[in-house]
Amino acid sequence: MLTNGDQKDNPMPTPAIIVFQNVSKVYQGDLFKKKKVALNGVSLEVRPGEIFGMIGRNGAGKSTAIKIIMGFVKHDSGHVMLASREPDKAECHKGLGYLPESPCLYQHLSITDHLNCAAVIAGIPSPEIKPRIEQILQRVGLSQVSKIKIKKFSKGMTQRAALAYALLHNPDILILDEPMSGLDPFGRKLVVDIINDYRAQNKTVLFSSHVLTDVERLCDRIGVMNRGRMIKVMRPDEIPPSTGDHSKSPLEDIFMKLVNSDTGGKE
Amino acid sequence: MKNIFAVAHLTLKEGLGQKILYSVLILALMVIFFAVLLSGFFMRDIAKIIIDFSLAAVSLGGLLVPFLITVNLVAGDLENRTIFSLLAAPLPRSAYITGKFIGLGLLAGVIMLILSSAGLLAVWAGKMLYGVHFFKMFSPASYITAVFMNYMAVLLLNSLVILWCCLTNSSFLVTLLTIASYLIGQTIDDIVMFISAPNSGVPLSHSIKITISIAKYIFPNLAAFDFKQMAAHGLHIPWSDTITMTAYAMVYSITALSLAIIIFQRRDLP
Repeated sequence: MLTNGDQKDNPMPTPAIIVFQNVSKVYQGDLFKKKKVALNGVSLEVRPGEIFGMIGRNGAGKSTAIKIIMGFVKHDSGHVMLASREPDKAECHKGLGYLPESPCLYQHLSITDHLNCAAVIAGIPSPEIKPRIEQILQRVGLSQVSKIKIKKFSKGMTQRAALAYALLHNPDILILDEPMSGLDPFGRKLVVDIINDYRAQNKTVLFSSHVLTDVERLCDRIGVMNRGRMIKVMRPDEIPPSTGDHSKSPLEDIFMKLVNSDTGGKE
Repeated sequence: MKNIFAVAHLTLKEGLGQKILYSVLILALMVIFFAVLLSGFFMRDIAKIIIDFSLAAVSLGGLLVPFLITVNLVAGDLENRTIFSLLAAPLPRSAYITGKFIGLGLLAGVIMLILSSAGLLAVWAGKMLYGVHFFKMFSPASYITAVFMNYMAVLLLNSLVILWCCLTNSSFLVTLLTIASYLIGQTIDDIVMFISAPNSGVPLSHSIKITISIAKYIFPNLAAFDFKQMAAHGLHIPWSDTITMTAYAMVYSITALSLAIIIFQRRDLP
């Protein structure tokens, strides 16, 4: 089966929907914080219909890259385009769903209140709002708690609520920052199913994760980040079989090797 | 426009859920209740004391919004990263700021409306308890105008708090800046009056006098919105003052919000 990851072999590839060219970002320090290079010349392209996974250690720059794509953080140099527009323009978020890392919602409001607001902002016509909210709550398994305040939600339920928020307007591009975090096996299966649904509908997903087995299973291409750089982009079929320690998955094995060789074996 | 009202509605609902709101509302209602009871000890000033206490309670309730709720709902959005969910949607940052301001303004309006109604109830209770003749000087128009002016001051302070929230990620720093703004706002009139008084002992050049009079309006002149004493004495508050101060509050708030939007559009979100 030809996956979207194979498009790079195609002489006329589809133009990328997320373009990240030689992007650098330095967080300026202050009296209490040291200056930190978050991204150092990162380049990345995600094509329509592609499932792209980013992996890397904590602080590798995955979340910063996602925040730059979302327009939350300004890059210092390089070129970033989201659906052929500058990412900080609100219009280009119309077909975009985003799940932040450790999402936080308004504690005194219910998920229905949040979704009502999101629906209005997304421009969903009024008569369609209620059925759409019911449908999405059913999808993420929160129908029974639709009127309960978020402060009574567990971490996993908040993650599901944030997922509902991201999916409400049926976006064409889904950007998920560590979507499996805080989820039980059923929650993880839900995320996997959503990503697979997106694949079936030929929609685009960019996500970061520490769960390497899921990344290996779901993605058309995988980007490995370390110390603010994209050190390798590969397709799952390019991952060599695991050597040595068989308790590790092949992706885990190559990830360790890549990171260790990049850091010269130093932590 | 729909976006702005969606954010305003969300802010109002979240604000109404804050527990601190109910604690302060109960405190303010207690102030009004005890004002009715205690005013009996000051026979000639019964009306003045009840009105004074009622307006102070309205002011306290109104100030609760910029001091606690605005800091919590705007700086808190950045600290807790709640803002990401909102801005991931096609919501311009300017709409977020404007929506927050309108939502918090509505919240302050609801609180002040409840408290000023309770104040009017206190006046009625005072009339029943001590006799109508003590309340001959009570002017409902002055009372309502004083409440409205107080509301304008709260809106102005709210816009400043939003500006501080756009400058820093720290709720603590925002609270400090808000306290400083409030203190400056309450004292700037007196300071300017003291400096420019002919017998202050400080010889001032014409240019310094002009600078001082401009500074009086560059800093938020919150004291100028205080018509409590006039309302307590049943004096008529001139329309010209009401219109001038309303215009001042609007110009000041729009300027502060415009600055906030410019800063917020350029900054990184944590």
